[in-house]
Amino acid sequence: MTSRHSLAAVAGLGALALLLSGCTPASSTASSGKGDSTLRYLVEQQEDPEFLPMIEARIAKFEERNPGILIEIDAMPFDTMRTVLQTQLQSGDGPDVFNWGSGPTFAGSLADAGLLYDLTESYEKNDWQIYDFAKDRVTVDSKIIGVPGDIETVGVYYNKTMFDDLGIDQPENLGELEAAAANIKQSGVIPFAVSDQEGWQAGHLLSMTLASRVGSQGVADLIDGKASWTSPEVIESLALWAGFNDAGYLPEFPTAISYDGGAALFYSEEAAMLPTGSWFIPEVEANTDFEVGYIPFPSEDGAGIFTAGLGSGPLVSANTDNPEAAIKFIDFLVSEEHGQWAVENLGTIPAFPIETKDLEVLPLLAQVIEDTATFAAGSSDLGTNIDVVASDLFNQTMYDGFQALFTGQKTPEQVAEELEVAARN
Amino acid sequence: MNPPTRSHSAPRVTRRAQARLGVALVAPLLAFVTVFFLFPLGNAIYYSMLDYNGVDPSPAFVGLGNFVELATDPALGPAFMNNIIWIVLGTAAPVVIGLSLALLMWTVRRASTLYRVALFIPYILPAVAAGVVWSWIYDPMRGWLNQLLRSVGLDALATGWLGNPNTALCAVLVTAVWATTGFVFVVLLSSLRNVDAELLDAARMDGANSLQRVWYIVLPQIMPVFLMIVTLTLVGGFSVFDIVFIMTGGGPSNATEVLGTYAYSNAFQLNRISYGTALALVITVLAIPFAVALNRLQRRLSFQESV
Repeated sequence: MTSRHSLAAVAGLGALALLLSGCTPASSTASSGKGDSTLRYLVEQQEDPEFLPMIEARIAKFEERNPGILIEIDAMPFDTMRTVLQTQLQSGDGPDVFNWGSGPTFAGSLADAGLLYDLTESYEKNDWQIYDFAKDRVTVDSKIIGVPGDIETVGVYYNKTMFDDLGIDQPENLGELEAAAANIKQSGVIPFAVSDQEGWQAGHLLSMTLASRVGSQGVADLIDGKASWTSPEVIESLALWAGFNDAGYLPEFPTAISYDGGAALFYSEEAAMLPTGSWFIPEVEANTDFEVGYIPFPSEDGAGIFTAGLGSGPLVSANTDNPEAAIKFIDFLVSEEHGQWAVENLGTIPAFPIETKDLEVLPLLAQVIEDTATFAAGSSDLGTNIDVVASDLFNQTMYDGFQALFTGQKTPEQVAEELEVAARN
Repeated sequence: MNPPTRSHSAPRVTRRAQARLGVALVAPLLAFVTVFFLFPLGNAIYYSMLDYNGVDPSPAFVGLGNFVELATDPALGPAFMNNIIWIVLGTAAPVVIGLSLALLMWTVRRASTLYRVALFIPYILPAVAAGVVWSWIYDPMRGWLNQLLRSVGLDALATGWLGNPNTALCAVLVTAVWATTGFVFVVLLSSLRNVDAELLDAARMDGANSLQRVWYIVLPQIMPVFLMIVTLTLVGGFSVFDIVFIMTGGGPSNATEVLGTYAYSNAFQLNRISYGTALALVITVLAIPFAVALNRLQRRLSFQESV
């Protein structure tokens, strides 16, 4: 080889090395033994950092019972997961199993793109006992495309001790709630620890007020386009929160207060009530030394109903190399034993029936388990958490609309009009 | 008749060898530019002409549809205005403050390293850290800014800085200025070391006051560096994203939305990847003329200086 050719070859190899070093994927850190199947399991970053090691320890049990299957767990913040998950799945380099929302803009859009493994047959074969209402949420074009996540309700936590001290009974209707708020404000405490810096809290605020005002069917009609978002009930629900803000029942600047900041107001007893979901029960129990109650947002003439939604549940990638191992893993995750473990350790409620009689469960969680069980049995009503089932555009409009309400930039009528336009798009 | 150039006189074999050597030396850079610049740019242009939601395997081709929609998007105007505010204040404030500090520190010898390090630290802090720390400062209930105002009887000025649409953009901008000023200060302070002291003495003897000396003597001598700083901060104003995203996410109710956060929101929150890509291309196109103009000016001034 001449020196010219050597030079060109060296330069070419150098360029190639440069490209390859930047472009080749990093090799997996989990080494698999002979004949082992390694599944990559991607979950959202947990509210409580202690949960991830607990989940890892739990998964180790699965690995013990299923020699030859290794689970490589990976946690990612929700926003990051939202941006990278689709790309990873499409490139074929995504997780084998991942926890993701079951709504149309989450699992639904992945299923439409053919990125999810069809679990219909697995449901039949393994007799997975998922509640029917929850199974409907993960059914797309008659195919079951995942396992619905934990059942979560949205309601109002209240400081029972403070209520007792102020001589306030648990509110049984909207009028009593407003009277309680006025009383609490007079005592120098913020009635509602409403935060709206992130914006998504709006979905919970609107869902809970609407559920109690128009019932589950009314909310379903709005979501399905059978009723208008400019209807008086929606405007009244929006006006209610704007009115609470004007009356000084909320922190002075809710749009400047983060979700954690709002919770801190409740923990420190600077606020008496915290409107949020049942996923917060472990945090509330851990951070308060006063008695806490959890009630649905009341309606005008009664106690109202809780709003419910499904959290992120396990889905299987259509491109997984190990569908059998993935289904075995899902089978483990939907077992009663694992559901009981999740209730006791993570404070989450699975979307399938479990025996809770002998479990050590936080008192507030026991109440929610009972509520959801009666709902699943068809004996009670639960509203729908709007942002879980609405489109991204609608959700963003709702988030922006509430921030505009709280900062006096828009009226409830204007926000309702924008919601209607977003719903029609 | 012009004398023959060296290459014309070189033997053909040598010329070929030189050409091959040239190609070999340029090839890695060419490959690098192609892979990391031209290919992504071409890819972005391609995606901006589709209606891609991030998952659809066969998105529809819409040509210039996304750009037409951009032209009529009512949310784009306010976001662009916020960018303009950011570009003007976000460029002027750190440059003015940084230059003032550099002039003040110019002749200071004692503890000058300490000052430089202290002022430079905010620049090397990750935007996430700066954003989080300043969010605490601005917290309406526990943040020290409101506590300070209340403690001195200025309760009326206390507000939800990041949640009030009238103050949110300025509050984020202050954080950005705080983070950038140290960089401007350090670079300008270094360039001041090259200013001709004799010229300054002469101007002083001629009766020029401080401002005149800065304007007529100092600034012309540091102009290339000064313009480089202006170019960097100004172009950064077009592409601003991280600090706004961390501190307000573009809220409340889009009050702090800039083109960068609007592009992100469309691409990743509304799953309109193509529309977000089109917007990102527009941001790039908007920034290029400013960068090129300032770069040319800088080169011209450098050339004049060398002559």
